[in-house]
Amino acid sequence: MRSISSLFSRIGLGRRAVGLILPILLLMGWQYMSTRGATFAYAFSSLSQMQEALRELIASGDLQINLVASLQRALTGLAIGGAFGLVLGISMASSRIIDTSAGPLYHILRQVPLMGLVPVFSLWLGNGDTAKLFIVCLSAFFPLVLATYESLRQVDGKFLEVGNVLKLSRAQQFRHILLPAALPNIFTGVSFALAMAWLSTIGSEILFNAGAGLGNLMMNAEMASRMDILVVVTILIGVVGYLLTFVLYRISAYLFRWRKVASE
Amino acid sequence: MSIGIRAAIGLNRVAGRVHYRQLKLAAFVSPVLLVLLWGWVSHLQLISPQLLASPLEVASTFQELLASGELQEHLSKSLSRLALGYSLGASIGLLFGILMALSRNVEALCAPLFHAIRQIPTIALIPMFILLLGVDESFKIAIVIKASFFTVALAAYEATRGVSVNYLEVARVYKLPWITLYGKVIIPAIFPPVLTGLRIAFARSWTVLVAAELLVADSGLGQMMQMGRDMFRLDIVLVGVVLTGLIGFVIDRSFKWGEAHLVRWRVA
Repeated sequence: MRSISSLFSRIGLGRRAVGLILPILLLMGWQYMSTRGATFAYAFSSLSQMQEALRELIASGDLQINLVASLQRALTGLAIGGAFGLVLGISMASSRIIDTSAGPLYHILRQVPLMGLVPVFSLWLGNGDTAKLFIVCLSAFFPLVLATYESLRQVDGKFLEVGNVLKLSRAQQFRHILLPAALPNIFTGVSFALAMAWLSTIGSEILFNAGAGLGNLMMNAEMASRMDILVVVTILIGVVGYLLTFVLYRISAYLFRWRKVASE
Repeated sequence: MSIGIRAAIGLNRVAGRVHYRQLKLAAFVSPVLLVLLWGWVSHLQLISPQLLASPLEVASTFQELLASGELQEHLSKSLSRLALGYSLGASIGLLFGILMALSRNVEALCAPLFHAIRQIPTIALIPMFILLLGVDESFKIAIVIKASFFTVALAAYEATRGVSVNYLEVARVYKLPWITLYGKVIIPAIFPPVLTGLRIAFARSWTVLVAAELLVADSGLGQMMQMGRDMFRLDIVLVGVVLTGLIGFVIDRSFKWGEAHLVRWRVA
């Protein structure tokens, strides 16, 4: 069977255009549903309504305020939770006592779905920003502990032997051999932690219905049955999440550009 | 995984019987200490008992909920939602992922939309799903399907793409019928990464289901916790937290056990 994409390139459309068929069909289907009377129009808002909603959100500043609030929360959570995660990961990797004592507890607590902790934190810390930030911190903390621990443990034994030959002290060994060797993998952990932080930011904003944030904006739109706003914000959340990971990926590609040379 | 937890669940045995036994004991030290500390702090009553129920109180609440049959009802509701949504999402995702990797046409057609929707966190879709599907069962099952479908499909897609061309060439040389090609070559080759994908998909489905139940539900573990939150009954909330954690832990471990034991041929 001839492939669709070669057919497309033959009639003068790019091969990539095939990928647009489904999204366009989806949009057309959506648009069609919105014109099918009031019962459907309530759930399927038309494309022009969405465009209008986007303009309205930007003009009123709602979008900017909530976007900044969410981003701030995700990044603060990443910084605080990530720092604690880094410290625990390093100490678990370098001390057997800490590993055997804290490790099991860590692996048990990690299994509790973070959103399940929302009721606990809301009783302890209230419904405000503190509780939300705490959840985001935890979501960044857990993956980074594991990533730091695993990356430090997987450092090639050859490097450590060189350190022994040079009679480096433990601190020197860590500073000059372990950390540089493990850093690229730890950074992968950071990008995972960032994705988790973004996800739990939105999740906690949806579940704690107070304050500013994209999640709150969505819940308000849901209450008001404003599908147009919901679609716009949901897509925005996806795009921002993608961009955050992308930016971090570029940073790591730049920071660890020596790695490619070294491994060759 | 830390050495302690490996020893505790008997994954890879550390050399030396005595050493192994010591580690196994050590793995239980910190959880036990935490519970003791928790009991001691709540005994001191520095914090109002409403905000920090003691471990004993949580245990007795657990028994009460069990005796009244309330807990079983919530638990079976949550688990059946999870089972239905996960089995649907994971099996369709598995087939779709393999198909997308094998067929150029399907890939060209579906991949862009697939990767675009994949970027949206499931939890962010909750409000949209509520508006589209209402607050009934279908919404919770749909959200679990979304969470499991994309994770499993991606894992199956990447695993199938990663099957070495050499295998396929050998299969072609031997003119293997397609049923043997799948049964003996492709499925064994993609099994380990797919199993990992299934495990991650499960964890995501469970989290998102609990979140959905916290938000809108008439039953389920999430709803039980939400009720506890509204009534300032931290003991009920904690029973829910411990149970959701325990279920997640046990199923995660079973998948990991499967990853370690079912794919032995790979190590050999």
